[in-house]
Amino acid sequence: MARVIGGIGTSHVPTIGLAFDRKKQDDPDWTPLFKGYEPVARWLADKKPDVLVFFYNDHATTFFFDHYPTFALGVSAQFPTADEGMGERPVPPIKGHPGLARHMAHSLVNDEFDISVFQELPIDHGCNSPLTMLWPDAVAAGQWPGALVPIEVNVLQHPVPTPLRCYKLGQAVRRAVESYPGDLKVVVVGTGGLSHQMNGERAGFNNTEWDMQFLDLIERDPCTLTAMRLADYARLGGTEGAEVIMWLAMRGALSDGVKKIHQSYYLPMTTAMAVALFEEPAAATRPAKQGVAA
Amino acid sequence: MSPQLEGIESLQGTYLFDLERSAKALRLNRFLHDLVIPEKRALFKANPEAAFEQARLTEEERKMVRDLDWRALIRYGASFFTLEKLGRVSGVSNPAMVAHMRGETLEEFLKTRNVPGAR
Repeated sequence: MARVIGGIGTSHVPTIGLAFDRKKQDDPDWTPLFKGYEPVARWLADKKPDVLVFFYNDHATTFFFDHYPTFALGVSAQFPTADEGMGERPVPPIKGHPGLARHMAHSLVNDEFDISVFQELPIDHGCNSPLTMLWPDAVAAGQWPGALVPIEVNVLQHPVPTPLRCYKLGQAVRRAVESYPGDLKVVVVGTGGLSHQMNGERAGFNNTEWDMQFLDLIERDPCTLTAMRLADYARLGGTEGAEVIMWLAMRGALSDGVKKIHQSYYLPMTTAMAVALFEEPAAATRPAKQGVAA
Repeated sequence: MSPQLEGIESLQGTYLFDLERSAKALRLNRFLHDLVIPEKRALFKANPEAAFEQARLTEEERKMVRDLDWRALIRYGASFFTLEKLGRVSGVSNPAMVAHMRGETLEEFLKTRNVPGAR
């Protein structure tokens, strides 16, 4: 049986990928960002998950507003890297997991989540920006050490799904994973945020106090977060910061007993960059270590 | 309006991208989105007026794109994420776009940031 061994919440700002491509590890302006991801990369290298189920959003790169899917599941064996206006980022193409993904499509639809599916479409920084932080050796190796099942979520064009619906999608994803007959270790990843706004005179808005509350609630009280409305998220974390509802999808796929074993937060410019690592109790092979740094 | 969004109109300086804005600016957003296609991008770089003509932009739309008037483009109905393509093609960074939308120079905006060099 496939099982969920943990979860990761991470920002997906394009500058995270850009800092990696420009090798900014030792640049003091960027070192805190890289340090924040190191424990997560080590955990992944240690646990060696077969698949990352990645809740991400396309940035009107592959999907356009002539048909913008609310939820879409990538079911092919490979996904090219998207050209977002400057050519393709120099990262290996993403490997899919068609076996698990097709099973998930059946399971989700039978669970009354009528998700659309896509194959071989390019994937943008919504996935690949944090991915080089999570699997930093992949670029040199020329391939990613595991597969991805990407799940695209519309957080761009309102109406976007409610926070509660995203959480329920995560719960349905867990049921789908746990009903897959293959023996796979799966980590669920929710991307986006934290606070930022990229439109209007309010652009540049941040709210670290709210970000810290969110990082606390996502671990121990996600129901408070699912009861909030999108207008609350926009007011507290900016209109674009409301994309953290994708973290709720990740959290919905985790158990009640999951423990946050690391988090990092860095706000250099316009977007609060955060990463948080959650471990399922059954997956813990050593005492959970608190690595919380603000 | 969705009960999820009630009260959002009280957020000053905010232009929520919804179906109304999307419909109004569909042609403009399609033009901006298409900058991810190398041929379209090459045409825009070589001959922007021909690219505007091909996309059948209105004169108002052409002027905003020509002037890289981010604030006017957002108010008109452009999505920030299609504008991001124009930013990359034009060599304008996200902080510079944000500063313009706020009505500040880039230097003024950077003074309000924690790590002005992180660009």
